[in-house]
Amino acid sequence: MSVFLRLLALMRPQAGWMALAVLLAALSALAHVALMATAGWFVTAMALAGVAGATMNYFTPSAMIRAFAIVRIAGRYAERVIGHEATLRFVAGLRPWLFARLERSAPANLETLRDGDLLARLRADIDRLEQAFLRVVAPLVAALLVAVPALLWIAAYDGRIAALAAALLGLAGLALPLALQRRSAAAARRLASGTAALNAHLVEEVEGLAELAIYDPDGIHRQRTLAASDALVADENLLARAAALDGAGMLLAAHGQLIAALLLGLSAVAAGTLAPADLPMLALLGLALFDAVGAVPAALRAVPAVLAAATRVFALADRPPAIRDPADPAPLPATTGLVLDKVSFAYPGAPHDTLGGITLTLPPGRRVAVVGPSGSGKSTLALLAMRFVPPRAGGLSLGGVAYERLTGEAVRERIALVGQHDHLFGASIRDNLLVGDPLADEARLREACRIAQILPLIEALPDGLDTFVGAHGAKLSGGEVRRLLVARALVARRPILILDEPTEGLDVATEARLLDALLDEVLPGNVLRGDAKPGGTKPGGSLPGDVRPGDALLGGAQPSGAQPGGTLSGGANPGGSQPGGTLDGDARPEGSGARALLLLTHRPARLARMDEIVRLEAGRVVARREPHGPRSRRAEPAGPTP
Amino acid sequence: MSEKSADAACLRRLRPLARRELRLAMAAALLGGVAIVAQAWLVATILHAGLIEHRAADTLATPFALLALVVLLRAATAYAADRLGFSAAMRVVPALRKSLLAKLDRAGPAGVAERPSGEIVAVIADGARGVEPFFSRYLPAVTQAVVIPLGILAVVAPLDWLSALVFVVTAPLIPFFMVLIGKGAEALNQRQWRHLQRMSGHVLDAIQGLPTLRAYNAGRRMVRAVAETADGYRRETMAVLRLAFLSALTLEFFATVSIALVAVLVGFRLLWGETTYQHGLFVLLLAPEFYLPLRAMGTAYHARMEALGAAERLVAFENLPDLARPATATEASHATTGDAPGSAGVALRFCDVGLVFPGGRRALDGVEFEVAAGETLAIVGASGAGKSSLLALLMGFVVPTAGKILIDGVAMEEIDLAALRRRIAYIPQRPRLFAGSVADNIALGDPAPDRARILRAARAAAIAERIAALPHAFDTMVGDGGHALSGGEVQRLGLARAFYRDAPLVLLDEPTAHLDAETEALVQKSLGLLRPGRTMLTIAHRLATLQHADRVLVMEAGRVAEIGPEAALRAAGGRFDALFRTALDGADADGDGAA
Repeated sequence: MSVFLRLLALMRPQAGWMALAVLLAALSALAHVALMATAGWFVTAMALAGVAGATMNYFTPSAMIRAFAIVRIAGRYAERVIGHEATLRFVAGLRPWLFARLERSAPANLETLRDGDLLARLRADIDRLEQAFLRVVAPLVAALLVAVPALLWIAAYDGRIAALAAALLGLAGLALPLALQRRSAAAARRLASGTAALNAHLVEEVEGLAELAIYDPDGIHRQRTLAASDALVADENLLARAAALDGAGMLLAAHGQLIAALLLGLSAVAAGTLAPADLPMLALLGLALFDAVGAVPAALRAVPAVLAAATRVFALADRPPAIRDPADPAPLPATTGLVLDKVSFAYPGAPHDTLGGITLTLPPGRRVAVVGPSGSGKSTLALLAMRFVPPRAGGLSLGGVAYERLTGEAVRERIALVGQHDHLFGASIRDNLLVGDPLADEARLREACRIAQILPLIEALPDGLDTFVGAHGAKLSGGEVRRLLVARALVARRPILILDEPTEGLDVATEARLLDALLDEVLPGNVLRGDAKPGGTKPGGSLPGDVRPGDALLGGAQPSGAQPGGTLSGGANPGGSQPGGTLDGDARPEGSGARALLLLTHRPARLARMDEIVRLEAGRVVARREPHGPRSRRAEPAGPTP
Repeated sequence: MSEKSADAACLRRLRPLARRELRLAMAAALLGGVAIVAQAWLVATILHAGLIEHRAADTLATPFALLALVVLLRAATAYAADRLGFSAAMRVVPALRKSLLAKLDRAGPAGVAERPSGEIVAVIADGARGVEPFFSRYLPAVTQAVVIPLGILAVVAPLDWLSALVFVVTAPLIPFFMVLIGKGAEALNQRQWRHLQRMSGHVLDAIQGLPTLRAYNAGRRMVRAVAETADGYRRETMAVLRLAFLSALTLEFFATVSIALVAVLVGFRLLWGETTYQHGLFVLLLAPEFYLPLRAMGTAYHARMEALGAAERLVAFENLPDLARPATATEASHATTGDAPGSAGVALRFCDVGLVFPGGRRALDGVEFEVAAGETLAIVGASGAGKSSLLALLMGFVVPTAGKILIDGVAMEEIDLAALRRRIAYIPQRPRLFAGSVADNIALGDPAPDRARILRAARAAAIAERIAALPHAFDTMVGDGGHALSGGEVQRLGLARAFYRDAPLVLLDEPTAHLDAETEALVQKSLGLLRPGRTMLTIAHRLATLQHADRVLVMEAGRVAEIGPEAALRAAGGRFDALFRTALDGADADGDGAA
C-alpha cells in the first residue's frame, strides 16, 4: 500500500490534470448512462401516451437526450486529450526524477543493469508506471464516480433493484476479477521468469549458433528453446483465459441484473410503487452502467503488475550512493598528483578484500602500468581513483588533498577513465565524444580521434563524425568502440588519464600504435621531445619522474634538464606539500591535456615505455619495476617506433 | 508504402496457421449476434406485455426463461470468441518462433554476423509475441464489426425502415470518416508510436550510460536533457493526438447521435401510434449494440498497428541472406559421431574456391590449397583477408560461390551436412557456455553423456582440477545465472568440448587471443595433446600458435599469398615475413610481463 501511495505522491504535480481527466471520463460515461435511461423512459412514455391518446411534453426529454449526446461526445474527446496530457506530463516528470535518483548512486549500484534481463525488466517497469494513471487509476476512480450516482439514481426509484445491481456490480467488477487474479497469480509471476528463460535460451541460440550447429546437430538445445517458448505461451494462455472469464462474468452480471430488474420492476409496477415508464429507464440505466464500468476488471488485473513494477523501480531509486560528498568540501586542488596510500577495498558482503594495501603514486608526468590477470582488482583500483567507491582502509589524495575532503565531482574534474564497461550512447560519434566535454570544438574532437587511432576510419565514413554508432555502438567493431572511448576521454582533457584494458579487441599492430600515440601525445614533455626542444616551449610539457607537479604545470618555465627526479623512487609525497601550484587548477593545457597516465592491463604491451610497472595479483602488488630508472631513462630512447 | 504492405502481407501469410480457430471465432461471433437480437426481442416482448398489456410477471415465465437462456448463450459466445481469438494466436506464435529459428539456421553465423544478437533475440521473442494482438484482438473485432451490424440491420429493416435508414446512413459514414481522418492521423500516429519506442529506448540508453555520464560529471546535464526531451515529446505528441482523437470523436459522434435520433424518431411514431411499443423498444435496444462492435474496432485498430510494427521487424529478419548450407533431409544417427580414435584425420582440398557475399563483397577468390590428413595448418593474415571464411566454408556456414572443396577426396556438397559436422570440433575465440552443468557443456549435444569421457576430456584440457574445486564439481551449473568462470577457464572448457567430441577435423579460431600468458601456455600445451591423429586448421594471431603448425597459410585479400613451413616462409622474406614483423610480433617481442 505504501508503494501505491508513493506512486500517487509522484503523480501529485499533475494532480490537477489527472483530476480533470477523471472527472471528464466520469462525466461522459454518466452522460451516456443518462442518455440511455432517458431514451428508455422517453420511448415508453411516448408509447403509453400514444396508447392512451394523451398528449405529453416531449420537448424536455428530447432536449435532454440531445444535451446528453453532446456532453457524451465532447466529454469523450476532452477526456482522452486531457488524460493523455496528464500521462505525458507525468512521464516528463517521472523520467528525470528516476534518472536523477539513479545518477546519485552510479556506478556502484547500477552494476546489475549490465544484465540484459534486468534492463529489459526495468524498461517494462518504467512503461508500466508511465501507463499507471491511464490504465489503472483513471478507470478505477472514474468507475467509482459513475457507479455511485447511477446506483443512487436507481435507488431513488427502487431500492431492491439498486441493491441487486450494486451486489452484481461488486461480484463481477470486484470479487470475480480478484478471485481470478489470485488463481492466476502463479502464472502471472511465472510470466516474468518464463520470459527471461526464453530470452536466455534465445541468446544461446544466437550467440552459440556456430557451436550448436557443430556440436548439437540433433537440435537438443533447440528442443529446449521451443519448450521454453511453449511454457511461456501456456502461461500467457492461462492469463488470457482469466481475462476472458472476467469479460464473460461482467456480461452475465449486466444481463442478469437486467432480468432481475425486469422481474422486480414488473411487480413494482403492478403494485403501483413504480411508474410504468420508469421501468425501462431503470433497465437501460443498469445496462449502460455495467457498460461504463467495463474497464474495471482490466484495471484491477493491472494493479499487481504496476505495484511490483513500482516496488522494483523505487528499490532501485532508493539505493543509497556509495559515497557521500563532504558537507564542506575543500576547493579543487591546484595540482594533480594522485596518491593511493595502503588502500584496501572489499565489496559489500565479500569474505575478503578485493584490494589489499595498494600503494601507488602518480605524479604529473608519470606513466604507470598496472599489469595483472582479470580479476586481480585493476578495475576496482579505477573505481577507487574515480571516487566512485570508498576504500575500506588506507586513503587516497589528489594534489595533496585527501579524497574525503573532496567532492566526487571535483576528483572527476581531474581524472578521466576509460573503463571496461564504458557506454556508447545510441547517438552520433560527435555526441558521444561531446559527453567528455560539451564545449569541445571540432578541432579538439578530431585531435582526440587522431591520437586514439580512429580518425582515418571516421573520415572514411560518409557522415564522418555525425555517423550514428547504433545502440551501444552496435555498428562498430569492438576495437573501434574501444578507440572511440579513448578518444572521448581525451576530449575531456583531464590531467590524469586512467585506461582500463584500452586495447581489448584491437589487433596487435593497432594496439601498439594506440599505446605509442598515447605515450607520445598525451605526455608531450617526454624526454625525447624535451631534449629536442630545450626549454620546453610546449605548454604542459613535463618530465617523467618530475616529482613536483607545480613545476610540471609550469611546463615551459622549467628547463628540461633540471630535476632528475631521484626522489620519486623514495615514494615522496608528490602532491600537496608543494604549495607552488601557481597555475590555476582549472587551466587546461593544449592538446590532449593529460599529464599522467595509469594503464591497467592484462596484456604486457609497450611496457618498455612505462616509468613504472606494478604487477598486481589477487588484489596485491607482487612486483614493482622501473624498466628504466630515472637515470637510464634519460639515456635511452623511450621505446621502439614501428 | 510497399514496405508497409510487405508487413501486412507477413501477417496475412500467418493466417492459415490458425484458420480453424478463426473460423470458429467467426461462428461464435455469428451466434453471439443472434443472441443479441433475440435478447432485445425478448426484453421488448416482456416490457410490452407488462407495461402495455398489463400482464403480471408470473404469466411471463416462458419469455423470462428464454431470456435467461439467451443471456447465458450470449456470455458463452463472447467467452468462446475471446478464447478462440487467443487460441489462434497460440497457434501462430509458437509456429512463428519455430520458423524464425529455422531462418536463423538458414542464415547461419555468417548471415547474422552484422546484427547484434540482442536484436535477433528481440525479434524471435518479442517480435513473434507482437503479432499476437492481431489474431487475438484485431481479427475477432473485425469479424464482429462486420457480422453483428449487418445482422442487426437485416432484422431491423423489415420492422422499422426509418431506424434502419439511420443505421444505413451513419454506419458507412463511420469507416468513411475514420479513413478520411485516420489516413493522415495513422501516419502521424505511427510516426509517434516509433518515436515513443525510440524515446523509451533513449531513456534506457541514458540509464545504462549513467556510470559513464557520472565519470564525466555529465549526469546533471543529462537529467536536464531527459526532462527536455520528455517535455518536447509531450508537446509534439499532444499536437498529433488532438488530431488523431478526432477519428474517435467522429465515431462517438455518429454512434451517439444515431442512438439519440433513433430514440426520438421511435418516440414520436409511438406517440402518433405508427408503430408498436414492442417494435420501438426492440429497435432502441439494438441501437447501441449496432455501434458497439464498430467502436470496438477503433481500439482493436491499435492492436493491428502494434502487430504491424512487430511484422516490420519480422520481415527485416526474414530478409537476411540465407548463407548457410541448407540442412540435408536425412537424419543421421548418433553412431557416426567422430571417427575411431587413432585415425589420421581427414584430408582437405580447396579447388579454386571463391566466395562472394550477396552484397557483392568478395571474401575469397581462387583459393587453392591442400591439407594432408593429420596435418596442422596455421592460417594468418590481416583482418578481412578471408581467414574466417575458410573455416566457415568447412563448417557449412557459407557455401562457395565458385570452385569446390574435397574432403577425403569427396566433394563436400555430397556429404550429409549433419554427418559432416559430427566429424568436426570447433573452438572459437570465445567459446560460449550454455546454461547447464559443466558436464553438459563438455558433452554438448550428446544425448547420452559419458562421464568417464568427460573426465578424460577435462584432464586433457587442463581444467579437471579447477572443475573439481567448483562447489558441485562437474555438476556445477554454469552459463547464464550459473557459477561465473574466467575467460581462461571458459576457453579450456571449450577445449575439453573438442576433446570430448574426438573428431578427426579440428577448427580453431585463435584460441589464445584473449588469454594471459599463463593460461595461454596451458592451452597451447593441451592443443599439443589434441593434434595427434587429427587434421587441424587454426587461425593464428600470435606467434606461439604458429609453433605447433606444420605449415602456415598466408591469406591476403581473399587469396592465398603463401603457403609453407614457418621457417621457410620467414627465410623467403615474403608476405609472411612482413606480416611477422608488423602484426604478429608487436606484443610478444615487446613485453615479457612485469613479473
